[in-house]
Parts: sequence; C-alpha cells; structure tokens
Amino acid sequence: MAANSLLASLRRELFASRGDALLSAGLLALIAAAAIGLLRWAFGQAQWVVIQANTTLFAVGRYPLDQQWRLWLLVALLALATGLSWGLLRANPRGDRSGVLWPANDRIAVAVLAFLTAWAPAALRLALPLQLRWWGITALLLALRWAAGRWGRRHPPQLLRWVPLIWPLLYLLGMVLISGGLGLIRVPPSEWGGLLLTVLMASFAILASFPLGVLMALGRRSELPLLRWGSVLYIEFIRGAPLITLLFLGQNILGFLLPGGLAPDRVWRAAWVLTFFCGAYVAEAVRAGLASVPGGQQEAARSLGLSVPQSLQHVVLPQALRIALPATVGQFISLLQDTTLLSLIGLLELLGTARTVMANPDFLGKNAEVYLTLAVLFWCCCAALGLGSRALERRLDPSHSPA
Amino acid sequence: MPASQPMIEARGVEKWYPNGFHALRGVDLSVSKGEVVVIMGPSGSGKSTFIRTFNALEEFQAGSISVDGIALSNDLRNIDAIRCETGMVFQQFNLFPHLTVLQNLCLAPVLVRKRRRAEVEGQAMGLLERVGIAEQAGKYPGQLSGGQQQRVAIARSLCMEPRILLFDEPTSALDPEMVGEVLEVMKALAADGMTMVVVTHEMGFAREVAHRVVLMSEGRIVEEAPPEIFFTNPQHERSRQFLAQIL
Ligand SMILES: Nc1ncnc2c1ncn2[C@@H]1O[C@H](COP(=O)(O)OP(=O)(O)OP(=O)(O)O)[C@@H](O)[C@H]1O
Ligand SMILES: [Mg+2]
Repeated sequence: MAANSLLASLRRELFASRGDALLSAGLLALIAAAAIGLLRWAFGQAQWVVIQANTTLFAVGRYPLDQQWRLWLLVALLALATGLSWGLLRANPRGDRSGVLWPANDRIAVAVLAFLTAWAPAALRLALPLQLRWWGITALLLALRWAAGRWGRRHPPQLLRWVPLIWPLLYLLGMVLISGGLGLIRVPPSEWGGLLLTVLMASFAILASFPLGVLMALGRRSELPLLRWGSVLYIEFIRGAPLITLLFLGQNILGFLLPGGLAPDRVWRAAWVLTFFCGAYVAEAVRAGLASVPGGQQEAARSLGLSVPQSLQHVVLPQALRIALPATVGQFISLLQDTTLLSLIGLLELLGTARTVMANPDFLGKNAEVYLTLAVLFWCCCAALGLGSRALERRLDPSHSPA
Repeated sequence: MPASQPMIEARGVEKWYPNGFHALRGVDLSVSKGEVVVIMGPSGSGKSTFIRTFNALEEFQAGSISVDGIALSNDLRNIDAIRCETGMVFQQFNLFPHLTVLQNLCLAPVLVRKRRRAEVEGQAMGLLERVGIAEQAGKYPGQLSGGQQQRVAIARSLCMEPRILLFDEPTSALDPEMVGEVLEVMKALAADGMTMVVVTHEMGFAREVAHRVVLMSEGRIVEEAPPEIFFTNPQHERSRQFLAQIL
C-alpha cells in the first residue's frame, strides 16, 4: 500500500509528461553512472591505506603520544554529557517550551551511532584496543542516555535548567585537558593538529564571536556616537577584507593589539582573527534581526517600566536573535570551512595535515582519497551544525507551541 | 463626580519633532483622579504625540507635565517612577510574541517591582479572569484573536497596578465584531474609578463613559466639554466640522 503510493507519487513527480519523463530518465542515468563510477573507485581502485595509516595524525596531529589519554578522557566526558543531555531532553521533550530537539525519531539516531561505532573503527583498521575503546565510549553514552531518560521522567523538568551548564564547564575542562596546566604537562598549541585543531579553532571562534557580534550589533544602534562609529568602522573594515589577508595581518600585528597572554603564539593569533572575522558577520545578522523587531515592542516594554537593558534582555534580543539564528549559523558553517585557510599560514589543521600526508613519498598520488575523506568530515560537521540550528529554531518558535 | 485631585497636569506643552515639525503648540490639560477623558481629532492633529508625552515615550521641549504629583523632567528616576504609575495600551497591542499570555503579564511586575513570581501569577490569573480570557493564559499572543490580544494588553498594563491608564486608539486595529469586547473591559475599568485618557473615535464609548471630551486640531486643544454638550452643541467651528465628518 505505502509502496504503491510512493510509486504513484514518484510517477507523478518525475514522469508527468513525455518531456518530464525524458528529462528525468536522462538525469537518473547520469546520476546512476556517477554513483557507479564513484563506488567502483571507492571499493576497487582507491587505496584507503593512506587514511588508515594516518588516523592519529588526522585526528590529533602531533599531540604527544604519552599524553593522548587526556584526549580519550575528554571524549569520554563528552559522550557522558551528550548521553545525559540527550536522555533528559527525551524525558522532557517539551521542557518549558514546545517542539522537539533533533533527532525527532531518535531510534534512528541510536542506530546511526551504533553503526558508525561498529563500522568506522574497523574500516579505519584501528588496533583492537582502540576499537574497543570506541565501543566502550558509545556504550557509555547510550547507557547514560537510558539512565538519564528514566531519571528525568521521574523528576520535574526544572532539573533541565541546570543541565545545559555542564557544557560550558566541560568546555573549560576540555581546554585544560588539551593544553595542560593545573598539574598536567603543558602541550603547546603548536603540537595540536588535525581534527582536534580544526574543532578547537572553530568552536572557540564560534563561542567568542557570538557575544562579540551581538555587542557590535547593539553598538551600531547605540545613541553614543563613539560606540556607534567604532562598531561601524570595525564591521566594515573586517567585512571589506578577505580572511586570508586578515590571517596574515593578524600573525604580524595581533601581538601588539591584544594583551600578551591572549595571543602568545600563531595558533591563538589565528583563533582571534577567526573570532573577529566571524564576529563582524554575526553582527550584521543580528542587526538584521534587531531591525525586524517592531519599535512598538521596545515602547511597550519601556511603558511598563522596564529599563533599557531589561527591555533589551527580555523583549528585544530574544526576538531578534531568533530571527538572526539561521543567518548566524550560516556564518558559523562558513567559519568552520574557512578554518582550512589556516593551512596557508602553516597551521596543521585538517587540510594542513592532509597536505603533509600527501607530501609523504609513501602516499604520493593518493590525493583523491584524502580530499574525499576531508570533504565527508567537513560535510558531517556542517550538517550537524545545520540540524542543530533547525532544531533550536523550532524549539524557540512560539507558533510551534502546544495550543 | 470624580474628586478634583489632579492626576495629570499638562501646562503649555510644546513639541517639535527632530525634523522640525511643530506637533504640539502649547497644550494644557488637567485630568482629575477617577476621571475619564476622551481625546478626539483629525488624523495628524497630535493626539498620539500628546498622550505619549505623559509617560515620556515622547520628549517635549517646552511647558511642564506632572503625573500623580511627579514632575516629568530629564531625571531618569522620575521617568521610571511615572512609567510604573501609568499603563499604556497601544493600537497595535504590542504584546511580546515570544512569551505566553501569562508571561506577558508577569514580566514587568517581576522585573520592575521585584515581586515574587508565584504571587504575581496569582494576580495575573485574576486579571485574565476579569478581562474574560483566563483559559488562554498558556497560549502565545499569535494564537489569539485581535480582541483577545487587546484584552491581554489591558490586563498586562493592569498587572503593574497603575494609577492611570492611557489608551491610544485601542480599537482601531480591530475587526468590528471585536470592538465591543474591548470597550466592555474599558467601561468596567472606568466604572471601577480608574483614571483614563483615551484617544478614540468611538462615539458610543465617549458618550457613555467619558466625563470630558477634548478635541485636538493641528497641535492645539480647540474644545473641551462634557460629552452631552460636545456632541450636541459644540462651541467651535472646528468641532462642528469634525463631528460632521465622523457622524
Ligand atoms: N517621528 C516623527 N517625526 C516627524 N513628524 C512626526 C513624527 N511622528 C509624528 N509626526 C507628525 O506629527 C503629527 C502628529 O502626529 P500624531 O501621531 O500625534 O497624530 P495623531 O493625532 O495621533 O494622528 P492619527 O489619528 O493618525 O493617529 C503628524 O502630522 C505626524 O506627521
Ligand atoms: Mg495616533
């Protein structure tokens, strides 16, 4: 029955008229040919050993071997936090707001996760202990998801309020684990690399550029001329220059511009440039959001006696940020992709690592394998950001509320 | 008849917009406690501008205004105090669309008056009951009809326990069949002795509820009279023209 209706709708969509049918058939043939070609190459000719032999390099670069337990610990903690949040969200799908968080059907998500854990470490030919470690981590995640779900159903949703707090704490803890300090051996940023560096750079820039962008957007509307012109100057300067120039410029001048401790080396300088760059675009997205909140909102808030900061915080910004969310996340996605430019200033993030691998005489001519892997990795990260943003959008949308 | 203690006292108010437009040209008005004053006048005559000076949504350049004994000056503390004493209901409702009806009501009392949320929620439910929409407390404004939204807006103002309510054409954006329900709420408020300044063209409301009708034209008040006199025997040519237009 369902299959029949699917066929019928396919026929209607693709083969409605003779012209449509021809076009559809032609396109389908092209797609099929490309897919077959790709699969043949991927499973026949491609030599994935270039990835399999360099998994550690791609994952963490030259992070010292004897300190990598810190990263494993971090991954395990991340899995625990994910399981906890996931389980609680499932137990209280509405929270104080309506709408669901992705994935709407999280059985599928569990299945995908389980498949990835079973398949990816094996496909990468990881040593058995490492494979076991990944299985253990996934098991941990799923177990906590289950436990948190049961616990959350028995306790009121108010508990959800403090759960998000574990994420910033975990971020700080992760920073310590990665870079050292507090009794841990220091691992300088020059030894971070691969996916680790890419994710660190992108997440730092995303987290820091958001408040910066909001402040700049507010500054641009401020009544104080100095603040207004400062913001305009900043935004327009950044948006007028290509990122790669700013990256090179930042390597040379950030040492003078920021207090010494903040940008001690090329990695941190690059992180700040990414932050300032992304902040200017976030500011523009937020400005558009602010402009779309009717003036009557501010007037109503003020007429009720709210101060300017209160009306911003409780009335104007929540609405403006919700409207700005898709554009802002779009910026974050391009930022994630722009981290590849860091390879041009000599950082060994994913692309930089890939280039060193491809320059290795053992793996000459394996560019296609490497680039395809990179593309898939980036695609996954961007897709995750996009899905998260759409879920958040739905969660914040008042029209999706229980009537 | 209302007592004569003045709640609003405006003297010689002059207002220029930043583009140089002279919107208010020496306006005097005094509103006593418990009085209901209806302001009428052709479009662009400065009605909105005038009542928006009462809670400092618009600045004025000359003259003086005092509200409930507090002089409106540039002192921000005075402005905040006055805004707590006056509620305002807008033509476009201006409810907060990202908050539920109940949250709309509770926001200001909790933030500004620093009252306990549970206690404010109790009061808010009572007010929603009074304007006849208690069952909508958990909905968002976008899920309500225009008339319901305007009643929520009135309840939101009342939740701050104001001593004066300002209305700027509260029924102009409503479909005709919803005007009545909002006017009923306003009549009930007037009957309870609330001091109200209402910009409206609803003749029926003015006749029935107003103690005084004020006609504005080109930034001035041209006539001030009790409704029975204003509607039957206006003294000024400008008033007669205006009434001829809207009758
Ligand atoms: N921000 C502004 N800048 C310049 N002029 C303005 C501004 N706001 C209003 N005006 C002008 O001031 C005059 C009075 O406006 P106001 O809104 O007070 O009129 P109104 O009597 O409320 O009219 P309506 O019945 O259309 O609401 C109008 O001529 C209007 O064009
Ligand atoms: Mg008006």
